[in-house]
Amino acid sequence: MKIAYRTIEGRSRGYFALFGVLGLFVLAGLGAAHHMESEGHWITGMNNQIVWGMPHVFAVFLIVAASGALNIASISSVFAKTAYKPLARLSGLLSIALLAGGLMILVLDLGRPDRLIVAMTTYNFKSIFAWNIILYNGLFAIVAVYIWMMMEGRFNKYSRTVGMVAFIWRLLLTTGTGSIFGFLVARQGYDAAIMAPMFVVMSFSFGLAIFLLVLMASYSWSERPLGDATVKRLKNLLGVFVAGVLYFVLAYHLTNLYATEHHGYEAFLLLGENGGGIYSNLFWIGQVLLGSLLPLALLYHPVTGKNRVMLGFASVLIILGGLAQMYTIIIGGQAFPMAMFPGMEVSSSFGDGVTASYAPSTWEVMLGVGGFAMSLVIVTAAVKILAFLPEDLSDEIADPHTASKST
Amino acid sequence: MAQLALVIDLNVCVGCHACVTSCKEWNTAGAAGPMTDQSAYDKDPTGTFFNRVQTYEAGTFPNTETIHFPKSCLHCEDPPCVPVCPTGASYKRKEDGIVLVDYDKCIGCKYCSWACPYGAREFDEEQKVMKKCTLCVDRIYDLNKPEEERLPACVMSCPTSARLFGDVHDPESDVSIAIRERAGYQLMPEWSTHPANHYLPRRKTTMNIHQDELIRADNPLKKEGLLSDLPSDKQTLDETTSW
Repeated sequence: MKIAYRTIEGRSRGYFALFGVLGLFVLAGLGAAHHMESEGHWITGMNNQIVWGMPHVFAVFLIVAASGALNIASISSVFAKTAYKPLARLSGLLSIALLAGGLMILVLDLGRPDRLIVAMTTYNFKSIFAWNIILYNGLFAIVAVYIWMMMEGRFNKYSRTVGMVAFIWRLLLTTGTGSIFGFLVARQGYDAAIMAPMFVVMSFSFGLAIFLLVLMASYSWSERPLGDATVKRLKNLLGVFVAGVLYFVLAYHLTNLYATEHHGYEAFLLLGENGGGIYSNLFWIGQVLLGSLLPLALLYHPVTGKNRVMLGFASVLIILGGLAQMYTIIIGGQAFPMAMFPGMEVSSSFGDGVTASYAPSTWEVMLGVGGFAMSLVIVTAAVKILAFLPEDLSDEIADPHTASKST
Repeated sequence: MAQLALVIDLNVCVGCHACVTSCKEWNTAGAAGPMTDQSAYDKDPTGTFFNRVQTYEAGTFPNTETIHFPKSCLHCEDPPCVPVCPTGASYKRKEDGIVLVDYDKCIGCKYCSWACPYGAREFDEEQKVMKKCTLCVDRIYDLNKPEEERLPACVMSCPTSARLFGDVHDPESDVSIAIRERAGYQLMPEWSTHPANHYLPRRKTTMNIHQDELIRADNPLKKEGLLSDLPSDKQTLDETTSW
């Protein structure tokens, strides 16, 4: 059956209210960035030990989720699963939007965002960071072309090829983001090749959780039918991805626990020793219990698995758990003191050699939330301007199996 | 090719922080300045310092000793902070091996700070660029200074002369001789970053003496111990004879 895409009307009070609220968060984020920029970074919680703070937690989360949100489109064009085809345009849009939000935070958190042109023109190709700049810009361009090929009837035949390029590119991008940490030999928590594939699986999970939320919200608010078959398919997939992330986390920690060199770091992160209490709580309660196990139960329980409110709740939990995971990876890894004098108790008047403390300032949180809001503003505006959303996603139209049975 | 470096003698460093303050003073007034301070005089001072002294305890109580360990950028021969810099602002000079940051090219992404295993990178929170020890590149080549003052500020100020400065690639330089003859070592050589700065270890002067070395072999009266004091009113032989 032919899928009809149509822009949403976007004239209701609810639409403008949503736009207004998100806009306020964006403005607050921009204001916070301006304040940090004009006052100097000393007003943030960051210091010489914790150099990447809360903004990076949000930024890396959104960038990882951006590549994951593209998955639905990839499944439809690369793996030719027709059931996912109607969702492909939204998937591409969400990918661009999340990337834009993440990059907004990343750029505004740089010491010198005014020198962005230097970053864009002077490349040191040995730097994984420089490669990421190319990968991010590339994803924008490729996904934009991809959406174009999907939307323009004459070019539909190319959408598979472009989709393939986009799929490979997004895998490279998340590999690059994971490698920012994986390539770091200097700190105990990183220097692990597993970081790259772990980030890829994390992207599947975070991206799909956001996708499912946006899909259910937009269809509910625009009063369009969204069939259970589509939702069920997505929630089952989401469960597999959440379990996949847990598997990678398990493999990472088991490897570390096997190597005596990493025991200090593992005790810090898993048991909260040596001042790591906040990180072990975030890991066990935030990431594992509330961010993975509870959502898994909600997604697969026969009662809650059919309830959309519960599915939405599970998606929110996965997103919060993802942020907790980013926090433990990024902040926890920096807070753990570097092993410069193994076995020695080091003290200095500058706080070297001890577990670094970090309390995110309000400004940093505002910037992070502002970037998230920016992503949603882009989606909210785009679905009104261009035909991203199918008019009808009820089971007869969206699910070919159901459709074939009924005819 | 030359490789300028500091060699720090941990045996005589007393942890006085003179190198810290002189470094801060010189660099605040120099090309890298100003070096931001937020609370310079509070209990937990924060700010940009190119040189810091770490103090650590070696051994187990009560058999411990305190070691003061001044640490600045070690000017690694294979510096991990250089390849990670996205814009190439972080670089190593070919002519003298000093690792520097181009403050005009740095975008403040702080990734080099993640990569440095020695924690030597310092983010200036007001200028928002990454900074670090320059080995006082603006002093050591300054022809307006008398030759004996063309040294890093920390070397000039050290009251115990614990800091030596020179070319570690020149086998006849003071620093090379010190490293060679006094067991100079690098910090965390297992990283294979080949830090140019070296440290001279703490030294103890001990000697093994056997008991028989303390007993006189030629002692016919078999009397050991100190001679009894002469009464103060008696003359000694030394005062009456000329031999």
